[in-house]
Amino acid sequence: MNLEKVISGFFIILAFTLNFGFFYGDPTVIAQHSRYELMAAIVINLIATIYKLGDKTQLGAVLLATSLVADIQLFGAGAIWLAGSHLVGMTDEIVTAIVSFSGGALLANIVSVFLFSADVIKSKR
Amino acid sequence: MGGKSLYLIIRQMRLPIFVLIVTFAISILGLVLIPGVDDQGHPYHLTFFDAFYFVSYMASTIGFGESPYAFNYPQKLWVAFCIYLTVTGWFYAIGAIVELVQDKVLAEQLALAQFMKRVKKLDEPFFIFVGYNRLNRAVIKKLSRQNIHSVVIEKSEEKLHLLKLEDFAIAVPGLLADAKDPQSFRLAGIHKPNCRGIVSLFNDDVLNLRVALTAKLMNRRLRVIAEATKTSYAQNLETVGVSDVINPFAIVARRVYSAIREPSLLVLEQWLYGEPLVLRKKDRLPRKGRYIVCGYGRLGRAIEKGLKRTGIDYLFIEADCKKAGRAREPECVLVGAADDKRMLLEANIQEASCIIAATADDLLNLSIIMAAKRLNPHIYTIARENNMDDLVIFKGAKIDRIIELDRLRVNRTYSMIAYPLAVRFMALMAYRGEAWAAKVIETMKRKVGPNPSRLETVIDEAHAFALHRALEAGRKITLQALYRRRDDRCRFNPIVALYLRRGEEEMVMPPEDTPLKVGDEIFFAGTPEAFDDAETIMENIYELRYVTSA
Repeated sequence: MNLEKVISGFFIILAFTLNFGFFYGDPTVIAQHSRYELMAAIVINLIATIYKLGDKTQLGAVLLATSLVADIQLFGAGAIWLAGSHLVGMTDEIVTAIVSFSGGALLANIVSVFLFSADVIKSKR
Repeated sequence: MGGKSLYLIIRQMRLPIFVLIVTFAISILGLVLIPGVDDQGHPYHLTFFDAFYFVSYMASTIGFGESPYAFNYPQKLWVAFCIYLTVTGWFYAIGAIVELVQDKVLAEQLALAQFMKRVKKLDEPFFIFVGYNRLNRAVIKKLSRQNIHSVVIEKSEEKLHLLKLEDFAIAVPGLLADAKDPQSFRLAGIHKPNCRGIVSLFNDDVLNLRVALTAKLMNRRLRVIAEATKTSYAQNLETVGVSDVINPFAIVARRVYSAIREPSLLVLEQWLYGEPLVLRKKDRLPRKGRYIVCGYGRLGRAIEKGLKRTGIDYLFIEADCKKAGRAREPECVLVGAADDKRMLLEANIQEASCIIAATADDLLNLSIIMAAKRLNPHIYTIARENNMDDLVIFKGAKIDRIIELDRLRVNRTYSMIAYPLAVRFMALMAYRGEAWAAKVIETMKRKVGPNPSRLETVIDEAHAFALHRALEAGRKITLQALYRRRDDRCRFNPIVALYLRRGEEEMVMPPEDTPLKVGDEIFFAGTPEAFDDAETIMENIYELRYVTSA
């Protein structure tokens, strides 16, 4: 068992699951999307990103790219939330934007998890 | 080597960043969860942004105060805990990252990457110099004025710093690597098609041979210019396929002979190395009388070779019995200290015509000359100068002739790179002899003047667009067309072709009516203005038409 693989696998899957948890629910109702979950998703995504840093392989490069995409999407969701709550008010438009941004991040995380599992399956036991 | 250590360093940054993110996340979450009281006494919760903002300036110890409202006690309790958590985490993380950025390995990697990028971008012809010593520095400086690019491989970091401080006319990339490692040659661009050659002027024949061999095996068509002071190493170099061997002692041997028997050849050679085309009185060595040479080392033996050819009587003084024992004619070598008055008297200095101080010690050479002058004020003095920095003292000593080995090396190397045709021309002249050299000098003086400049050119599309096109179209153009003036085609510029190479065929002093062909390489002597005219005629269709319709 490779401890490094356990840690990076843990954070990659956790980033994905938290992202899904936030995304799941009616996209127009903000009450169905926990802000604590968004915060957790952002933090875990950042950690997943740093654990992909410094991998020389091509797979490592693509994994890092997917993680960066997820980070940007989640930062976007957070920034829109900030704008909504302090500047323009939580209209339906703002709420859907937050949720759809996290949906984009979710797709990036799905790709990331897929690549990670493919690599595991490909490697010999 | 390679990018591996760079990745290792990035990997080492994982933990500091992880610590930073986790401590921030814990502090922010706590601040959001703990209820506060605003200025009107209503309960409120910090938003995530408020908390992030506060933690950011708390962790970095900037501390703008409590915001958006003053904290109550539960909040203060949490913040007190967070201060120790985040500030510690922040200092650890920033410290670790700064340390990694300053890492020597990383700096070397970055320097290497920068060097490789510069070599990759270099698309003009260039030469690789192995080792950055005084000689290479002088050659690079001269080459940079001619717009010829150089790349340096040096294993000492200090010397490489000196290269960076140097203000050359064009940028010279330097690589920190050992010349014994073939990998360094690859990094310096030995496989690039525009790499013209490699120069190795170490004071160590073995190392020069090693560099030459490695370079030749890595790239067969490469020109290797290497120094060899011993005959066996020079022969080894030739076996490897090195045609340009620099041997300062051989140059001295030839010059000693020329200065006595072939003054015109000497003048011609000195002109090629950048001196005027005149024979000064002090350039001629005495043709009669006895020569006393102090020091029977490498230089001593070279001088012996030159003197022997001339048939002049000579005597050596050598302090080292071992060196003196190696002499082929032991009766010509006295053993003793050369700066000793009695020794000089024993060598009969009063009757001698010339003294040569040829030891490897500059101070000893100077004291020999001083002693000799006191004993015989009319004697012709020659001294060997080993260290370039001592030149000032030597000039002050009023010595008739100074043998500067380093300068010979530099000039020879520079000529081989910048004026290869001229070097070949000189070799042919040495073969043809004194009478020819005198004729060449006379022609140059008559047509150009006492101090002609040098130009080498080749008739191809890049250097002679118009001429190349006209010759390809089948027109007959002679060398004379290049001598004509652009403002008046009936008159001629002060310019003369000394050497023309057409494939295997070579011509010394080609006549004016020589028809030109594509691919001709020509070496001219003339004034810079005349060169301007000739080059414009070669390049410009209208100028060529004007001069050829005369």
